[in-house]
Amino acid sequence: MTADSPSPALIEVNGLAASYGHVAALKPIDLRVEEGEFVTVLGPNGAGKTTLLRAMSRLIASDGKIKFKGRDITGVPTHRLAKLGIIMVQEGRGLFSEMTVQENLQLGAYGLGGSRDQVEGRFEQVFRLFPRLRERAGQVAASMSGGEQQMLAVGRALMAGPKLLMLDEPSLGLAPMVAAGILDTLGELNRSGLGILLVEQKAPQALKLARRVYILSSGYMRAELPAQDIKSHHDLARYYFH
Amino acid sequence: MPNGFELLQSLINGLGVGLVYGLIAIGFCVIYNASGIVNFAQGVFVMLGGMFAHTLLTRLGLPMLAAAVISIVLVAMVGVLVQVLVINPMWQRKAPLFAIILATLAVQLLIEQIVILTLGDQPRTYPEFTLGGPLKLGPIAIGYQLFWILGCGAVMVVALQLFFNRTRVGRALRACSQNREAAALLGIPVASMLMLSFALSAALGAAAGILITPTQYTAYSVDGPFGINGFIAAIIGGFGSAPAALVGGTLLGVVQAGAIVFFGAGYKNVVALTILLIVLLFFPNGLFGGWGKRV
Repeated sequence: MTADSPSPALIEVNGLAASYGHVAALKPIDLRVEEGEFVTVLGPNGAGKTTLLRAMSRLIASDGKIKFKGRDITGVPTHRLAKLGIIMVQEGRGLFSEMTVQENLQLGAYGLGGSRDQVEGRFEQVFRLFPRLRERAGQVAASMSGGEQQMLAVGRALMAGPKLLMLDEPSLGLAPMVAAGILDTLGELNRSGLGILLVEQKAPQALKLARRVYILSSGYMRAELPAQDIKSHHDLARYYFH
Repeated sequence: MPNGFELLQSLINGLGVGLVYGLIAIGFCVIYNASGIVNFAQGVFVMLGGMFAHTLLTRLGLPMLAAAVISIVLVAMVGVLVQVLVINPMWQRKAPLFAIILATLAVQLLIEQIVILTLGDQPRTYPEFTLGGPLKLGPIAIGYQLFWILGCGAVMVVALQLFFNRTRVGRALRACSQNREAAALLGIPVASMLMLSFALSAALGAAAGILITPTQYTAYSVDGPFGINGFIAAIIGGFGSAPAALVGGTLLGVVQAGAIVFFGAGYKNVVALTILLIVLLFFPNGLFGGWGKRV
């Protein structure tokens, strides 16, 4: 909890550190996302952005504390995070490529149990956001374009009804127009109250959406500042290499 | 040179054994696709199915259906125990895959020894499920047990297809086979799914063992040959769908039966291993190339 926020943060990370063997990929860092906030973590290649999200999702071992709505979830295994409302969209989308769009979306709702009405409702929500997925429902995920696959990855994450959506470079490998469309959708979701933690290299689009920005470089959290304070690449470079 | 009837009779016999290989192959595929592990203890499940069923029939005097169901449940529990006591601890410690595969070999040898010490080393069998056979079609005799193998095999494959494609848990198991991290991120308990894959695979092996025992025999040592032939059948099928594995097993059984007729029983395994090498050399993804949805 921070001084100016009366309720606990949606997610709060303190002293999170992770390493691969003897190589420290993430030095102890602090980070928080408030309820309904859009936060972006910017950093160059190899900054530790993916490691940060993997550590927060418990996909890799880490030191430090993680709290979700004030509850310590440090020891909670990955598969229980979805039920709490924390969903991560992996870099490279992490789709079940041999399965159809419909099956991928159904698996997104795995945590909902057998509640058919709830699942149907989520399908409608996702299809409203990404009408293309309705058209492609019977198509195998691997046969779709990169943009459609990213829509599916985000749509599948939304099927779980997350409170916090963490995304690892969703614009990677996409044409600028397609990436912009995906990011616009994320903005729309955030305006409807969804907390978003976006990890990106491409600053301009990510900055437009975010309220606050963290800057990560060589595993260190270099700065935390309002998004509007970063006006140019020059500002970013100053933080990356200081 | 065998006459046509001898050959046909042999091929029919091979069909029954081949279907059993197919069921064992499906067991290999279920675990492999959920975890990347080739479970060389698969043949043990086949042996235990026959041994348990025989024990329940002869020592407790249970009817066949009850003995079969209880045996399948017991062997599924053995599968879960193997996963919990051996596979999962190694998995959690991020042991290399080859070490886990070697551990399954050790499990096979260990269980063989336990069976010798507890149930003995003598071969045993029990009567066919339906007495009064075989069915005579001219010079061809078809044992009723073949119909049981055909029927049960078909029911199991259809049930598996429905399970993997129509149920929430079945889809989750397939998801684990394709991307374990993504599955966990969506709330799928990957470790429990791995346990389920062992239970399912063991149950399939047990069913295969129970079905085949009346046509031959069972003993502590049958696990090796059944395991190897099931593995070859899985490779022929491409470690893909259940029907592909079943077809792989059937092909293997029929070709082995043909080899016995033409070259003698000693060539049965030579032919099986030659087929394995040919498939590996020319069709490294199996004859069906991973055709269909993975199990």
